[in-house]
Amino acid sequence: MDRLRRARRSARSTTRSVKPTPFVLYEKSAHGLVVIAANAPARAARIETGLRLTDAKATLPNILSEEIDRAADMKALTALAGWLVRFSPLVAFDGEDGLVLETTGCDHLFGGEVAMAAQLSRHLAQVSYTHRIAIAGTLGAAHALARGTSTAEYPTLPSGEERCGLANLPMATLRLSPEALTLLRRFGLTRIGQLYDIDRKALTRRFHSREAANAVCLRLDQALGRRVEPFVPFRPPPEHAERLPCPEPLTSLEGISDGLKQLTEKLCASLSAAGLGAQNFTFRAFHSDGGVSAVSANAARPARAPEHVLRLFREKIARIDPGFGIDLLLLEAARTGPMEAGSRPLSGDFAGGEFDVEALTVLADRITARLGEGTVTLVTPEDSHLPHKAERQVDYIGQSPGTSPRPRTGPRPVRMLAQPERVSVMAQVPDGPPLQFIWRRHLRRVVRADGPERIAPEWWTYLPPAPGERGNPPRTRDYYRIEDSEGRRYWVFRDGLYGDDRGTAPEWIVQGLFE
Amino acid sequence: MKHDAAIHVPSVGAADFPFGLGKSGLHELAEASYGDSPAMTGFLLAAMRKQAKGAWIWIRQASIFRDIGEVPEAALAGGSASLRLNVQARNAREALWATEEAILSGAASLVIAEIEGADFTATRRLTLASSRHGVPVVLMLPYTCEGATAAVTRWRVGPRPSSSNRFDKHAPGHPRWRAVLERCRTTPASTGKAFDLEWNDETLSLSVVAGLADGPAAPRPALRPLHHKIG
Repeated sequence: MDRLRRARRSARSTTRSVKPTPFVLYEKSAHGLVVIAANAPARAARIETGLRLTDAKATLPNILSEEIDRAADMKALTALAGWLVRFSPLVAFDGEDGLVLETTGCDHLFGGEVAMAAQLSRHLAQVSYTHRIAIAGTLGAAHALARGTSTAEYPTLPSGEERCGLANLPMATLRLSPEALTLLRRFGLTRIGQLYDIDRKALTRRFHSREAANAVCLRLDQALGRRVEPFVPFRPPPEHAERLPCPEPLTSLEGISDGLKQLTEKLCASLSAAGLGAQNFTFRAFHSDGGVSAVSANAARPARAPEHVLRLFREKIARIDPGFGIDLLLLEAARTGPMEAGSRPLSGDFAGGEFDVEALTVLADRITARLGEGTVTLVTPEDSHLPHKAERQVDYIGQSPGTSPRPRTGPRPVRMLAQPERVSVMAQVPDGPPLQFIWRRHLRRVVRADGPERIAPEWWTYLPPAPGERGNPPRTRDYYRIEDSEGRRYWVFRDGLYGDDRGTAPEWIVQGLFE
Repeated sequence: MKHDAAIHVPSVGAADFPFGLGKSGLHELAEASYGDSPAMTGFLLAAMRKQAKGAWIWIRQASIFRDIGEVPEAALAGGSASLRLNVQARNAREALWATEEAILSGAASLVIAEIEGADFTATRRLTLASSRHGVPVVLMLPYTCEGATAAVTRWRVGPRPSSSNRFDKHAPGHPRWRAVLERCRTTPASTGKAFDLEWNDETLSLSVVAGLADGPAAPRPALRPLHHKIG
């Protein structure tokens, strides 16, 4: 039986004030400043959503107001959704101020649906979020029930009874657009039940477009369970996960490390039972006062050796702040894939290849875990004859280095500068290397030179400028190997030819240094 | 940069020339002056030419990479590195940690680290790790490096004018370097010797040449002042 429970809360953390001062949040709109949310004392003075702020201030002169910060609200809602994962692995957003939990198969862990809702409510009350929880069989019914009823503590609607359960709820809880709601109110349709007996064709004719009418019918059908509504979790659920509830909240790093060790062993056992390894491990610690700390570790290739995974986490686990205590630990494995498990050679002498790919990837993982992503790279050749495009750094994931598709066309330096550097040439001859130049603030006198090696630009990658715009096609480069009076050897090139009509006079640039 | 050390021409049987560089233990290479890093790299690659094939871990500190750039794969082609992993470290501490980690991993046949400085404690740690795991380590240090070290050798390498080119006298010939053995634990008698080396990229041989084979003679003071007037 598919059941959905939905939790609703007012996402505005600023409305949490305990003092009964009237307070509203407003937003700029086409009609000036409009009230978006109001707390209970303000609502008691009939200040509702949609009222102008000036009218609200006229009603209650001492009212406090603040502009709504939707980005911060969304962030708070995301954090809360991450924390609610402890109740059910599937959590989704419902608009900007609601969350939906898919509780199929989870409710019995808490002793039934109502007991689960009560526990959820207690946790939310602890972190002082005002909330309304409803339990229903469809997303639409749960949404309407949470917002439309005020009598029952945890309104519950068993699957199949949506039709009569929703009949008396206001139309505004049906997730319709404001225009559609206005139109329906003009027809005198204010309760969901009034829509049941209306002929759909007649209803469609009343709307200015077919889409608007279809949207109303779709929302009604989804709430009644006649049409399926996909459940989109706010974060893709992990492929493999292990959880460890703590009877007593953990406050020390040793406890967390021990928990991580247990979880890793369990998770790796279940991965190896499935014949899989994972490339991404995420460790989440749920704080008893709400909030989650998470650290994740990546592996270059699918891994499942517990000591290796623990080693990756060792540097990062100190980032978890126990705070007031951690009562649930969760370890998730993502990006799983089949493992190439082979037997290891008895000693290095029996190893088949010239290097041990497995040991290298383990090393790459460890260094990446500490120094950060993208620090361990392998150079792979690219099919380009331009020196700066002939090689590319890629993250090492256990691949073997490729061989260059092009033969060498000339001498290549032992050092390539990270960024080619322009030099100022003191004495130059029209077709030849410079006689003197200044590079890094030193005058260098050229004694011997070799070249040029002419490298033509990749004209096929050049996009001519649009008519009316200016742009120069790429220029031919003449590379020289030159040696100065101190014996230092440089790889310099002239960017362009004299009189090639491609911009200003050619410049000299150092790209590399010879041994 | 001039060194006043005597030119040492080893005998034919001087098999211990690189003094274990890249074969075992920790060795240091240092620039003779700022900007001699390419000569140092060339010397290292030439000395590593005949090693057994394997995986190299090349650790570089970001500041050195920005200053002097990287070693492209083309420069290693045909050498003893069948695979090279580059590791980029933000500072010297991270680079030393990565170096030690690479030694302990058992995956590398050679670990090279370009670091702006390593003190005695750090080099001692690396020496112990290197001897325990049998992985040779080479530290490439800038010209500022001085003081005590636990490494087996410390070389100071700088460029020399290249040999004359047989085919074009205006072109540079085979690269030459002067490598001074500043420190040597295995054969202390060799400490302070200077080697003028020439790398032939056709025969792939590193040979010791006489210092005056090409290039101007070093200026020296006149033996006695000239007192008499001419004319």
